[in-house]
Amino acid sequence: MKPRFVMVLLLVAGASLGTSCHRKPAAAKSDPLSRAYDSEQDWNDPQRVIPLNYQEAQGKRVFYQYCVWCHADSTPAGPSNRSNLNPMPPLASDGAVFNSLSDDLLRNTITLGGSAVGKSTLMPPWGNTLKQDDVNAVITFYRAIAQPPYQPPARPGPQYSVR
Amino acid sequence: MIPEEMGKVSKRFRWAFAVSSVVFLAGLAVSPVREYLRSWKRYERDYVRFAQTRPDTKRLLADFRFEVSQIWIPKMDVVDRCTTCHQGITQPSLQDSSAPQPFRAHPLIPHRVRDWGCVICHRGQGLATEVRDAHETTLAWEQPILSVEYIQASCGVCHRSDLKEAPRLDRGREILVRLNCVGCHRLQGVERPAMLGPDLTNIGGKVTRAWIYKWLKEPRTITASDGTVEVNGYENEDEPRMPKFRLGENELVALSGYLSTLQSEKIQPYKFDPRVVAAWAKRPDLVEQGETRFRQMFCVTCHSLAVTRAGETKLIGGDIGPELTKVASKVNPDWLVTWLRNPQAYFPHAEMPRYQWSDQDLFLVSRYIESNLTDTSLLSDVPNLGSPSLAEVQLGKRLFMEKGCGSCHVIQGVAPQTDFGPDLTSLGRKTISQLEFGNSKIPRTLVAYIEAKVTNPLSVNAAARMPQYTLSQSDLTALTTALLSMSGSSLPAGLEGLVQPAEHVKFRPAGAYGELYERYKCYVCHRFNGYGGTLAPDLSFEGSRAQHKWIVDFLKNPQTLRPTLTFRMPQFNIPTEEATVLADYLAMVTQSPNVNMAAVETKAFTPQMVSLGKQLYEVKYQCQSCHTIGSSGGYVGPNLSNVGNWTNSAWIEEWLKDPQSLVPDTIEPRRSFTDEERTALTAYLMTLKQSGPGKVATAVGRGQ
Repeated sequence: MKPRFVMVLLLVAGASLGTSCHRKPAAAKSDPLSRAYDSEQDWNDPQRVIPLNYQEAQGKRVFYQYCVWCHADSTPAGPSNRSNLNPMPPLASDGAVFNSLSDDLLRNTITLGGSAVGKSTLMPPWGNTLKQDDVNAVITFYRAIAQPPYQPPARPGPQYSVR
Repeated sequence: MIPEEMGKVSKRFRWAFAVSSVVFLAGLAVSPVREYLRSWKRYERDYVRFAQTRPDTKRLLADFRFEVSQIWIPKMDVVDRCTTCHQGITQPSLQDSSAPQPFRAHPLIPHRVRDWGCVICHRGQGLATEVRDAHETTLAWEQPILSVEYIQASCGVCHRSDLKEAPRLDRGREILVRLNCVGCHRLQGVERPAMLGPDLTNIGGKVTRAWIYKWLKEPRTITASDGTVEVNGYENEDEPRMPKFRLGENELVALSGYLSTLQSEKIQPYKFDPRVVAAWAKRPDLVEQGETRFRQMFCVTCHSLAVTRAGETKLIGGDIGPELTKVASKVNPDWLVTWLRNPQAYFPHAEMPRYQWSDQDLFLVSRYIESNLTDTSLLSDVPNLGSPSLAEVQLGKRLFMEKGCGSCHVIQGVAPQTDFGPDLTSLGRKTISQLEFGNSKIPRTLVAYIEAKVTNPLSVNAAARMPQYTLSQSDLTALTTALLSMSGSSLPAGLEGLVQPAEHVKFRPAGAYGELYERYKCYVCHRFNGYGGTLAPDLSFEGSRAQHKWIVDFLKNPQTLRPTLTFRMPQFNIPTEEATVLADYLAMVTQSPNVNMAAVETKAFTPQMVSLGKQLYEVKYQCQSCHTIGSSGGYVGPNLSNVGNWTNSAWIEEWLKDPQSLVPDTIEPRRSFTDEERTALTAYLMTLKQSGPGKVATAVGRGQ
């Protein structure tokens, strides 16, 4: 009789402990691609949608205002100017060109123009027109839509142990 | 009691005592153990352990305290404890996906997370310290976390004006305006315009009963002669704004009967010059000239036509006016001619400009529309209706009010309807218990409710009066986002600055210019001092930019500066005197304070300057990547072949200094020219002149 009573008490205590254990938050819904701040269609595969975060979405906005005319084959108004230029500017999504270039080099090319980094003078400098945040945003947008996909360089290890 | 037994009892008691003490102590221990195992404490311990595996442990733990961390924003009445578990939210080194949730850092946004907390944007219950209470709908808290795809709704709660950083919200707000939701609903930040749908007072003289029947039954289908074109979804911008009302057969008959009787004044057919008509009778091939005139006038800047190219039928053209592929099967030919001559006589609010027609042009263009933009089989599936009986008219009149037609359409003598649908100004703050889900199987959330209601109003309420819209998935998400942003409340103190009042001050000049400005509806496409359309260039500073003579010539024969654009300025056949009045006003009044006309002396330009400027243009700055001169160059910027006749030299100087100061959203990059370079470039550009009028441009036509 008594051990049974003790058992019951222990069970109750255990149950009340169990409920307070933390639960994993519900898993994300099935289609994570549309669940983003904004999205961009993959330039090579219309079926695929690339999710964009806030900064990438701002890059998309700046890109479609300033850059799309020469760095894409179709524009929001009129034909693309790309094929008209020699050397032909690379497509924004061309990972083969941009993936190997560092953020710093891209930032300098956009801010100071092509001639400042030994590229074509046809690329004008945008440093007086775009804010630094806009330039960074455009770079993150390029990284997001790159095909083949962009792999960020490995984070440099700590110089010395903090411990 | 026997003493030996007493010993037994006390022994038994001792046992009971011991056991109950243990139980009691165990019971007491439950509380501290439970406290120890509270989920936020477990997450905090996990965070410390996690931080120790990272290289920057010291930094990660610098401001860590083992307590409930809280962000309190008294003026917005927000208490936010999310950062208790989301410890790494502001640590830049936890940005990438290698950091597990809930410790990952927030992606870069313009607001500081430590100042604003989480629930202002993400919703959910900020006070909660349990995972489920904070994120999900519970009995005590009905607003769950807002899914990221709708997150821009939260931007719109405070930022009531257009917000280019939140494209989905802007698109949703645009759809709300375009689909005339404000006809039936009250909406935050959307005002009722003067005209929503067309005025129907004289509709009986414009279209037939059969056409009204077809239109009411299915406004979303147009039938092309080579097959059926379904204009599906709003994504195609040429979808009619008229939604589909689910009308029964006798309702269609009655409403079309009633509307076809509305004709307060009979249309007087226009009497063409008999010589023009006689010429037509002899030369039926002149209809081709009508088509040429139609294209030269650039009607497609505002109206679209179905065009078949390579087996694919598409609507091409603007969406300011209605789509015209089959307009001749819709309207009465006499009405068409009257309308073309003076649209404002039929609709005072019409945005269509009043063209200057010669009898010949009017005759040819109207004949072209009647013979080519038509489809004899358009109304072939409409039953034979005849003229309406009195009972049909009376039923139609009643239905007009019952279906809420009067919310968008005006009929003289019929009281306009307002607030036909529910007030939506605080829809985004509605709780589940305030919503009507009917027997639908959708999840009980506000987002699911709005999407279901907009997709199919009957799904949540079998007796819904709301008509049927067809929206693409992305537009549905955008519209839902805009609706969720309607919080109904006023902004907290200190944030009123976020509401920039929309520019309601209409720019309505007086005098001879004002009359022409109204006649040609310049403001439908052009913007003046912040008022007007955005299709064409802003003309607020046109007087500083363009030379007087150029303006006159351009108005008489508008040739676009950007030949690759589909939409161009229509040719109004403006006579010289009127063009001079317009140019006088623009040159005198629309001046930029930044451009000092007297500052640049054209006569001081030397040939050395010109040759230096040419060199700078072609070699150092390679302007030809975007601008065309003659036949070579890019087409991002305007063609500069005639810039010496087009612009004022003072404008060029200022433009080269800072283009954005003259046209804020121009994409011309601002460069750092020296003064000498700027003068040389101006001198060179001013020498670029083309003589003689160019050919008349022609719009892309059908079937080409």
